[in-house]
Amino acid sequence: MSSQADYKDREFLAVIGDEATPLTQDSVTGLLLAGIGHITTGAEAKKNFLVVDNKTETAAIESAFDSFTERKDIGIVLINQHIADRIRHRVDSYTAAFPTVLEIPSKDHPYDPEKDSVLRRVRRLFGE
Amino acid sequence: MEQQQQEHIDSLLERYLSLLDEYTRLRQDLSKLQSGVYQNIARANFAGERGMRYGQDYYDERMRATRVLRIDEAGGDEAVPRFMIKHLMASSSGAAAADDEEEGAKEDEKSESKPEGGDAEGTTAQSNSGTTPETNQTAEDQNQNGEEQEKEKPKMKKTSSDPLRWYGLLAPLPLRTAQTLSIQAVEQVIPRLVSVNAEMEHVEIEIRRARKKRAKAAAVADKEALGMEAVEAR
Repeated sequence: MSSQADYKDREFLAVIGDEATPLTQDSVTGLLLAGIGHITTGAEAKKNFLVVDNKTETAAIESAFDSFTERKDIGIVLINQHIADRIRHRVDSYTAAFPTVLEIPSKDHPYDPEKDSVLRRVRRLFGE
Repeated sequence: MEQQQQEHIDSLLERYLSLLDEYTRLRQDLSKLQSGVYQNIARANFAGERGMRYGQDYYDERMRATRVLRIDEAGGDEAVPRFMIKHLMASSSGAAAADDEEEGAKEDEKSESKPEGGDAEGTTAQSNSGTTPETNQTAEDQNQNGEEQEKEKPKMKKTSSDPLRWYGLLAPLPLRTAQTLSIQAVEQVIPRLVSVNAEMEHVEIEIRRARKKRAKAAAVADKEALGMEAVEAR
């Protein structure tokens, strides 16, 4: 299914999440508190997170998603489900085994099982 | 033969359903932990100094991941990836002290959450007064530890590793609680969730394969039966 070379260097979790405003809660800050944030050294400092606010354009989210899924040092991409909805076509058409994409809830947008790709797969398997 | 194939598919489906059950439970756990994190960050923001928001304005631009992924294969010939989180600073006493602080924060949080019926300001005042002596104590302990280790390790490494330090030396209690919950999500729930997902994908492929095999066998059996009928008719 996948060779060891595919994942042996994948040591980071990437996050695409919303920012703290009076109305929304901060997904990225919460996860970075756990110590998963990483900024590479060198001329082109690469972050493994993107904070999305209401001014962030969909193209920027798409570009971050593409960049995180192309990087060889990222093993899991965490993305708020409501942000994934903004680039749904891109998330649904992503089929590579690594990095794996996991949609997570945010305070104002609780987890919706209807949109969960795993549960959609389950329904397909049982012929619904 | 057909019976055997059916039993194989049934056992695969049984495994798949138990994985689905685990996936649903993990999803609930993640939602619970995440909402705890969000609530605590909101509380920290509410109780913080005027205009202070515990967000990206304070992120350290030189941050390094202290919790990293380890991916290996779950079992022998089945190439199912298993995800784990490794804490890079786990062996250093600095991180251990930070963990102790988090434990303390968790206990305080539990005792604090009981009289939550009162107004928000009263609760925060209570939490502040409740934690100050302990925070001072842990700070003193850390200083002592620091002095002992100064000879062996450079001081900078210890102070820069914990994301709580981005927000000052004495991070508020709700923020420490948010960190504890977030660590739980990152260390226990998220890696298991993606591992279960990978295993489910693998079982799905096996089920589809087994169903195809059964369908082929059934088609062959039908053909043979038709052939026999034709011979008998002659």
